[in-house]
Order: sequence, then structure tokens, then C-alpha cells
Amino acid sequence: MPPRMDDDLSRAQSSLGRALGRARAGEDRELSQKVREGGEALANIVCGLLKMSRVHAADNRAFEAPAAELSRVLGVLVDLLGTVHLVTVEDQVYLNDVRVRAETKGGARELGGELAKHNVGGLTFHAPLDGAAVRALVAAFAERPAESGPRSALQHALALRGVRSVELAPRFRFRAQGENERAGADPIEALRRALRLTEEGYDQLAAGRVVNPLPLRRVVAEILEIGPQVPELWETVGDGLPHASHAASVALLALLVGRAVGFGSAVLQDLGVAALLHDVGYAQLPVDVARGAEGLARHPGEGARILLRQRGFNAAKLRRLRAVMDHHRDHEAPAGSPSALGEVLRLAEDYTTILRVYAGRVSPADALGAISRAAGRLYHPALAQVMVNVLGRYPPGTLLELGDGRFARSVSPVRSPQTFAQPLIRVYDLRTRALSGEREDLALAGDVRRAMPG
Amino acid sequence: MDPPAPLPPLPAPASAAPAVAGERGAGTPQAQAAAGVLLALSRAARSFVLYDPSNAVVRQLLGEYRDRSRAALDRHGALAFEVRPFEMACAGEVVYRELDREKSLAFRLFRDGVRRLTILPVVGWEELLQLLQILAIRYTGVRQQEEDTVTLLRKAEFRGITLEAVEGFTPAEESPEPELDEKAQRAQRAQPPAGWDTPLQKLPQPGPLAWRAVPDAELAPLRAQSSEDEAALADLALSVARDLLAEATRSAWPVPNPDLTAFFSELRDGLLAEGNLLSVRRLLDLIREQGGGELRDTVLRGLGDARTLDLVLAAVPEDAAQLPAEMVPFLPLLGIDAALDRLLPDAGTSDARRRLLLRIVLARLPREADAVLARLPTFEPRLVRELARAVVARAPERASDVARQLLAQRDPSLRLEGLAALDGATGVVPLRPVCELLSDPDLPLRVRAAELLGKHGDASVLEVLRAALSTGRELPPEVAEALGRAMAQVAPIVAGRFFGAWLEPKGRFLRGLSAEQRTQQWAAVAGTGELPGAEAEKSLQGLAERSEGELRRHCLSTLVRRRKGAGHAAPHG
Repeated sequence: MPPRMDDDLSRAQSSLGRALGRARAGEDRELSQKVREGGEALANIVCGLLKMSRVHAADNRAFEAPAAELSRVLGVLVDLLGTVHLVTVEDQVYLNDVRVRAETKGGARELGGELAKHNVGGLTFHAPLDGAAVRALVAAFAERPAESGPRSALQHALALRGVRSVELAPRFRFRAQGENERAGADPIEALRRALRLTEEGYDQLAAGRVVNPLPLRRVVAEILEIGPQVPELWETVGDGLPHASHAASVALLALLVGRAVGFGSAVLQDLGVAALLHDVGYAQLPVDVARGAEGLARHPGEGARILLRQRGFNAAKLRRLRAVMDHHRDHEAPAGSPSALGEVLRLAEDYTTILRVYAGRVSPADALGAISRAAGRLYHPALAQVMVNVLGRYPPGTLLELGDGRFARSVSPVRSPQTFAQPLIRVYDLRTRALSGEREDLALAGDVRRAMPG
Repeated sequence: MDPPAPLPPLPAPASAAPAVAGERGAGTPQAQAAAGVLLALSRAARSFVLYDPSNAVVRQLLGEYRDRSRAALDRHGALAFEVRPFEMACAGEVVYRELDREKSLAFRLFRDGVRRLTILPVVGWEELLQLLQILAIRYTGVRQQEEDTVTLLRKAEFRGITLEAVEGFTPAEESPEPELDEKAQRAQRAQPPAGWDTPLQKLPQPGPLAWRAVPDAELAPLRAQSSEDEAALADLALSVARDLLAEATRSAWPVPNPDLTAFFSELRDGLLAEGNLLSVRRLLDLIREQGGGELRDTVLRGLGDARTLDLVLAAVPEDAAQLPAEMVPFLPLLGIDAALDRLLPDAGTSDARRRLLLRIVLARLPREADAVLARLPTFEPRLVRELARAVVARAPERASDVARQLLAQRDPSLRLEGLAALDGATGVVPLRPVCELLSDPDLPLRVRAAELLGKHGDASVLEVLRAALSTGRELPPEVAEALGRAMAQVAPIVAGRFFGAWLEPKGRFLRGLSAEQRTQQWAAVAGTGELPGAEAEKSLQGLAERSEGELRRHCLSTLVRRRKGAGHAAPHG
């Protein structure tokens, strides 16, 4: 059927043209260029200096020019990115998760080998280095690696030489897709990474820099693969700084609700990233403004302004901006209800905030019950019910008095409609506030006498 | 659409990589078919580096990729490729090898973390196309910040293509060394103020919690809002744009705001990538509706773009002399530089299109006067004249700038146009370039320059005018007249003294007049005609009576002119 095939090809050409146009509109040419060029230069100079240290003493004048160049390049990168992570993985080199070209010269490609002598896989620079610090770094690397714990020994040596802003990372290998499933995914590690990335992102934005959404997206994708209902995630979410824990809680809950709504994976990823960044507007408001009602009113708009620093046009960025701008808008806002993602964030945010603000005085079940009551006025009614359905009668963290007189905390969201009121629990010692090591499944045995605040 | 270009030669795997079992060298029929698919895929993906997606070559390569894939899958079933740094293998046989990093499909896939790629027989054309799209983006060197190949491939949620990819990296140590004190690092982190996200809204007493099925009809509209389809994306983009502008106005974001301007440019690019003029129009309307003065103007100014111009031109008949009414709102988005580019002599633009483009450019005045002035010397004289007149008419305060540009042109008619522009200029007229024209080889130009100096000059140019009459050569009478009049206009008293000496030079009866003296005398007659007072009249009358021929006629006609009041200084009484 030649005409149909021709149509196929015409449509394909048109669709490819649009896709390429979209992709071009989505790139941040300037930032990418700077990161890649700077990363390549940094990797080459570091590698060159380490090689030179084998033939020259640290005080040799031959180090002057490359040390000065390293100071300059690093200064530019720190200014641009904040903390600079230079990581080698097998024969590849990454700068803050952006792969830099290591094929052109021997330098960057051999960096991994140079670092590996001290069991080091990467360098994290928290601040620029002056010439003396660069020499101290090179001199420390030139020392014979310690027999045991060479990386820790080198880190100690750096500290003794006054180089405290350089952190040594372990050696890395590529992680294959599906490896997590085969080896057993580690939700705790993933959640902790999410917390760390959220803290770093907030830090970056507070310093007026641009946040890199790619690592955030990767960790959200990983959490989605693990499943946002997995209890370990909910049990780890409090391990971060308060704002990061809050953001991660909002993200977990938003993902749980979003998945139940039936959003596709791309939208869920966008929702998760938006949730991790939703309060960044506070990062640049003056402290006196940020506190209280004015901060509450201004931080969504301010958040959008900060997120606009990231260049490039793409659906993810649009959804992120939309959700951040909307996350404090009521369902019955006079100017119209917020976007779907904004509605989800609004629910997750308020639920999490109630628990944070009224910690110990309002139980998660009561917080959810209040939100459910306000559905229609403040919250999208269907979404509020979805949230009830996914969190259950005893949402994670609820203090329970069990039928047998023991106390426990619920640690899981709803696993099925049948277990709506039968979460997984850990027995709780009211005196020591310790939780049992083992989880119990109320669907298998036991019952709840009452839910309590606290 | 681009004209069909000749097909690029087929890369020869055997010659590029002698050791390869390529399409021709592969052993089994399955390996040969697999090699053909990869070859077609890599050629199609690379074609976007060289050609516009609408090009006939791209079309042909797409067809080849589709047909080869379909045939191979129908005949051999699933094709599983192991991805290595420079080669790909199928069922243990190397079926693709390319050592050139720029060209190698294997290298790009491997570098981006893909380690195994399987195409299943159930794959449809849409999915094959999506795979090609992801690879084509990588080949064209687009550096995406939000996505990488692996996230793109995952997001695609293929049903007929499976992948194994590395995703990030993980510590490689079996016995990890102790990590740094994370708490110490965290203590340095920025944090929001205590009590952020408060005060909370007053909430009702908790209600009972019960599981209730939510009808899909209530959730479907929410999913539709976040759909990836073009219309939903455009709606989302425009709603974000509207609210950002509102927020920027409400919260008085600093203006200019490069981030906001960049966002709107990117938004325009994104909408144009879809070829969707309607959405661009909606964007334009919402910017205009915002008010916000400077902010709105800054945003609009940043949106002028060649692609919008091309899209608009494509929607207008070739012979249209003006923009249809429905296209007029796009005027601010039509890149002025792009329009000017297309007006260049060698741009190959048809006459009809040139007329339309000229109208577009003129419609952007006076706002875009700078852009027009910067390019003025590059156009044909006729167009330069038209543009210059338009700038002067719509931005009179730029007349001096127009004149400066024109006076530097080689074409005398343009220099003349420059003087005309200066004549209409407001404010201080630059006199130096006009003075320089007094020695121009072009006669009308010299006359006009002298007239202009007379009209706009002051005593500072008297010496220049006098020097122009003292070159030792005889000047054409109209030049001399203009110079004489100008002298009288800029400095009548001093000029009168010169004229006295020039009208009746010493020794004229003994030696006759030199060429210079004849010129000066001619100029003095014309200049005296401009001087006020009866003395000037008397002087001209006396000279007329004492002379004959041309000089007598010149004196008499000057007197007539003077009496008609044509000069600056009509006789008193």
C-alpha cells in the first residue's frame, strides 16, 4: 500500500523534526558547554599533576603553571556549580554527573588509574584551591599509598596538610539496569540519596546556583522502581535535615497518590522531582520575610523564579514550575483550581506539614481525616480520597494501641483495599521509644484498639 | 522542503573496519539481516546531522530503516544486540563495527550506558521511530540537561524493544573504607526558617477514614492535564507563562530579568518546534494582556526570531504585498535581523517577497531603528533610500544617525539622501561630515552641502567655506553661488568684508581676474545678495552697472532674487 507507507514516512519526518526541535529547545547550551569544557580541563590538569608528581618534588617550579591553571579552572567551576564532584568510573570521567570527554587526550582517561592507587575513585571539591593547596594535594597523592585503608589515610594526610575542602570518594563501577532487582534493591540507600540530593539542591539554589535535575530524576525513578509503598522508604524518610525529610515525605506521598491516579512514568518522575524541590522558594527569601504568612504566600512564586535559572524548554521543567507555583493553591481558589500535579503536592504538603507542626499532638490518622473532611474546598475531592486509599486508616507513623495491649507504630501505607486498616507495624516501647527489629503484619495477626497522637 | 540531494554513499563496514563481519561479511542470514538493520538505523540517525528532517534523503533512509527492520524481524524473530564500545554483536557474531567515534552507533550507545538492545518481533513502526529519535538527538549533539539516553529510553516504555543499560555508578569496594562525617557536612547546609509552610489553614475536625473506589472518570481529566500530547503541552506552557508574568509583575522581579526572557524565548522555540503558530499567537496575546510595561516590552523584544518569520512567510501567498490581518499580531515576533537578511542583494528573495519584507521591516519602526541603521550600508541603494526615509519619518530623532550612515556611502545619490536627512534633523546637526563634502567630486552634492552648511552652520564653518573658494581653481558657478550664500548666512559681517574685497579685486584692470578671483567674485555676488541692508543692494547695483556679460546678468538676477525675498536677509525698507 504505497500511499499509506508514504504517509508513514511523512509523519515520521514531521515527528522527528519536531522531536529534534524540542530537544534543541530543551538544552542549556551554555551551561553544558561550560561544565563539559571545565570538566575536561579539570580532569586533564589533575591527571597531569599527579603524573608529574612522580618525577618532580612538590616544590618544583614546573608545578607553578598547572597548579595556577587548576586553581583557575576549579574557581570557575565552584562558582558555577558549588560543590564540584569529579568522578571516574572505569574509563569514563564525570563532573557532577555530566560525562566529560575523556577520549581526546591521554590525561583524563588515565585519571581513574592515577586515583585508584590510593583506592580513590573521585574528588569532591567543596571550595576553590589556591596554589599552595594544589601543591599539598599533589604532594599527598605522591606519597606511597597506605597498606590498609589507603583512601582514609590519604584523607587524613590531606587534612594534616590543611586541605580540608577536598573529599575523596571511593572507586566506582557502573551499575547495570536491573541489578537492583537481582541483588535486592536498597530502598534505604535510595531514600538517603534522595535526602542528600535534596539538601544539596536547596544549598545550591540558596547560593544562587542552578540545580542539576538529572540526579534527582534518577533517584525518583529508582524510588518508583522500588515502589513508593515500600516500608523502608517511609521508615528512612526522617533521616535528613528537616526540610529535606519534609520534601522527601511529600515526594513519597505524591508518588503514591500519583501512581494510584494512573499518571505515566514520565509524569510521575516530574512529580517526584517537583516534590523534592517544591519549597526551594524559601531559599532566597530574606529571613524576616520567609517566616510566617508572607513567606508562605511568596515562596511558591519565588520558587518558580529560582527554578527558572535552569535553561532549556521541556515538559518536565514546565510541570515542575506549574506544580511549584500551585502547591499552596486551594482547590476552590478564586482564580481557578490548581493543576493536577499542584493538587497532588498540595495534599501531600499539608498532610506532611500537619504532622511536622503538630508532632505528638495530632496522629497521622487524624491529619488525614481532617484533610479528607476539607476535600472539595481546599483539596481535590477525588485526589483526597485517593490519598485516603493509599495511606489507609493508620498511615505510616501512627502510634497504635493493639488489641493485646502492646503499642506499635504503623510503618506501611496501604497494600490492598483489604488491608486498608491492617498495616505492617513495629512494636513500640513507650518508655524507651524503641521500635522492634521485626515488622509484624496486622493482616496476619492482631488488631488495633485505637490510634493515638504521638 | 529542501530539494532532493544525492544519496550519500553507503558506509562500507568492510573498509571502515576490515576485521568486521558486517552486512556483507556476516556469516549467517540472521547476522546479515541484523547488520542491515543496524546499518540502516545508524545511517538514518546520522542523517539529521547533515540534512533537515524534511529532506528527501532522510525520507529514503527512514524507509530503508523501516523496511529492513520489518523484513529482518519477520524472517528471523527477535534481534538481540550486545553493545560493545565500537561494535555490536548479534548471536555472538559481530554485525556492526565502526571505529570512528563520530559515526559509530555502538560507541554512542555504549557511552550512554546501553549494554544490550533487543528488538522484538512485536515492535511497531512507532517504537522503531522513537528509538531512532532518541539516537538522532544524540547524534546531532544536543546536550539535554533534564534527560540522558537511559532516562529517555526508560521513559519511552517500549513494548517491542528491551534494553539493558548501566544507570549511574555505585561504589566498587567490597569492604568500604569509612566515610566522612556526614553530620559535619550537613551542619553547613542552607535551610528554610523555622516554622516554614505555616500558618496552616484551619482544618475541620477529622472525619472517618474509609476506603472508597474512586471512579476513573474523576481521575481521567487529571491525567489528561499532564498528557504528553502537543495540545496539552502547549496549554501547560502557556499557563505557566501567564502565571510567571503575573508573578513577576506582582512581586516586582527585577527588570530586565534574563531568566524570564530566556524562558519565553525557549517557550517560543518549543512551540515553533511543533510548527504551531496558533500557540505562538496565544503566547503573544497573553504577554500583551499582562500590561506591566517594561517587563512586557523586554519579553516581547526577546522573542523576535527567524523561524517565526519563516513560518509566517510560509503562511502568506508568495505574491502578497502585505501581511494578512490575522498575521499582523505576529509582527513583534518576526525577527528583524532575519527580515533584513532576506532583503540583502544576494538573498535570492523574489521581488514580491522583498516588498512584503520591506513592509514588515517598516512596520517595526521606530522600535527597531537601531537594527535597521546597523545594517543600512549593506543594502542596494534604492532600498537604503527607502529605509533611510522611513527611519527619518518615524524616528526623526535618529535623522543625524541616518545621515552619518548615508554620508559615508560611495553612491552620490545616497550621500545626497544623507544631506536631505540632515536637513530634516532635529537637534544639533553634525557639520564635519558635511564640510568634507565641499570637496566631493559630485557637483550637486557640493552645492547641497554648502546650502546645508548655510542653513544649519555657524561661524565655525566660515573658514571652511572660504577655503573652498580659495583653491586656485575656478569652481562651477552654482557651487560658488552656494558657497557665497552660505558664508553670508553663517557669518554675515565677516563674510561682508570678504565679499567687498572679492567683488572688485585689486589689480583687476591691469592683469584681469584669475580663475580663483572669478570664482570668488561670483560667490561674493551671490553672498552679498543674502546680506541685510541697503549697502549690499547698492553694492550689487554698482557692480551690475560697471560690468557686462555673465557677471552683469548674475548681479541682476541676484538682485531680483533678493527683492523677491528669497534670501535669508531681505533688504530693509
